[in-house]
Amino acid sequence: MASILNSESLARDARTTPSRRRTKGSHFGYLLIAPTMITLVVVGLVPFLYAIYISLHDVPYGRVGEFTGLSNYRALLWDGRFWHSVWVALVFVGIAVPIEFVLGMLGALVLNQKIKLRGVIVPMLFVPTMMAPIVVALLWKIMLAGSWGLISYNVLERLKIVSETSVFGSADLALYALILIDVWQWTPFMIIAFYAGLQALPLNPYRAAQVDGASPLQMFVRITLPLMMPLMAVMVLLRIIDAFKVFDTIFLLTGGGPGNATESPSMLGYKLVFEFWKLGEASAFAVIIWVLFFVFCNVFYQIAKNRLKAF
Amino acid sequence: MSASIPRAARAQRGVVLFTLLALGCTITLLLPVAWMATMMVKPEAEMFARPTVWLFEPTLAHFEYVLEAGFLSSLATSLVVAGASTALVVLIGTPAAYAFARFEMWRRDDMFLFILATRMAPPVALVIPLYLIYAKVGLLDTHLGLILAYLTFNLSFYVWVLRSFCRDVPVELEEAALIEGYPRWQVLLKITLPMLRPGIVSSAVLSFIFAWNEFLYAFMLGGRTVKTLPVAIPTLITAQGVKWGEVAIVGISALLPVLLVVFTLQRYIVRGLTLGAVKG
Repeated sequence: MASILNSESLARDARTTPSRRRTKGSHFGYLLIAPTMITLVVVGLVPFLYAIYISLHDVPYGRVGEFTGLSNYRALLWDGRFWHSVWVALVFVGIAVPIEFVLGMLGALVLNQKIKLRGVIVPMLFVPTMMAPIVVALLWKIMLAGSWGLISYNVLERLKIVSETSVFGSADLALYALILIDVWQWTPFMIIAFYAGLQALPLNPYRAAQVDGASPLQMFVRITLPLMMPLMAVMVLLRIIDAFKVFDTIFLLTGGGPGNATESPSMLGYKLVFEFWKLGEASAFAVIIWVLFFVFCNVFYQIAKNRLKAF
Repeated sequence: MSASIPRAARAQRGVVLFTLLALGCTITLLLPVAWMATMMVKPEAEMFARPTVWLFEPTLAHFEYVLEAGFLSSLATSLVVAGASTALVVLIGTPAAYAFARFEMWRRDDMFLFILATRMAPPVALVIPLYLIYAKVGLLDTHLGLILAYLTFNLSFYVWVLRSFCRDVPVELEEAALIEGYPRWQVLLKITLPMLRPGIVSSAVLSFIFAWNEFLYAFMLGGRTVKTLPVAIPTLITAQGVKWGEVAIVGISALLPVLLVVFTLQRYIVRGLTLGAVKG
């Protein structure tokens, strides 16, 4: 018990940044932030308020009609399709993020061993992360296309998972294929981030533990994990938020189908505008999603800043 | 002495083993990209063959098509939109990041949370009202419209990350200059800015990449005249089928400049992408 407490206090020591004195009561600061705040209010807050306004009205053919109160919200929330899209996102996030996290940590630990060629391996890991998601989608279409796809033909058909069709056409498999793509794109980045985190750890706790005869596993659990906690939390939360927003790959590969098996909230929002032309409901949708994210962001910020001192 | 030799040999074996493991996994990971790269010069007929054709006579036909199909104008659009929005972000955001790091301000945490929220907001929630507003004021399908839209996520991202870099610049230097009697804005320009250069460059590069890769805004707010590369690429999916060779060429060439910059700035990029949670 004592040693656990000890490693936690070490973790806290390592996290405290050098003293930051702040200048008090200066108008200079407000002058410096004014352009940013004004811009963000114009491009961020104004659209949000406009979305609230639209969402309370009937919008036939793109023209704002009569005030209808909360009927757009009711139409959306009473529609199983909205909740289904939230469910799709939850499944997507719930499977993809844990896999990315565990593989990312394992990869970082391997990379942190004494290995050669690190200067080649690390840059290569940046490739999937830096690809435009739309190119990633097409890349995986090449891999998983029905009949001629590299993986479809050489692996999936041999394993009798599909026969001359694409996994994207299967209501059971399409979502998992999209999850696989997300894992492919973001695991390497998790590895790089965790590896950078491991590299930045202080050496002293490890030396002390070695003197005390601690095993590598003990050191990992009692020193590495607590020290990495802030970074791990930030990465997981960031990934949850980003994965929830997934659009490009779904738009290009399945269009939300088959049926609406892969219809994420972003995909549904797109369809509300461009397929169903229900602008009122689309605005209500935007407001709901936004409020949801604001609450989530607030929690994220409080945890990361106050409990973990991550920023 | 005799005991230390086997131990050294075992350690050596560990190095080789872990190196092979890491290298093997990384290469497997990148096989799809390598496969896509071969399609740049693969004849159309052999792409769809069953069984898969591994060896083929390279062709340059796809390159000709890409040049004729007007991808250069999409390239220019992408450069203009991503470049202009990044320049704006640096211009507007740098002072703000500095102020957030240095000054005690009224409700600073709430303002900062607002910035984080605009960064995190799902594009689809923003793009719907933006589309309606743009349709009204005539910003649909204009460069300016896209540049402004990209400020939503890039300005907030830039300010957030650069603030973390600002906090690493020692306050003592600035205080010394202030005591010497230099005005604040000169201290900012002559002392702080030069020390912030790596932070500014890497945050700006990431903003550029986000704009460069962005699809949803470009697709919904752009269109016929303002067509960025990510929007142009899916137009290769035609009624007659997908022009895979061309997709590969445009996709890979859009990636290359990005990789070049990222490799040179690796350390700082990681810091930016983790929103400052990793200090390089």
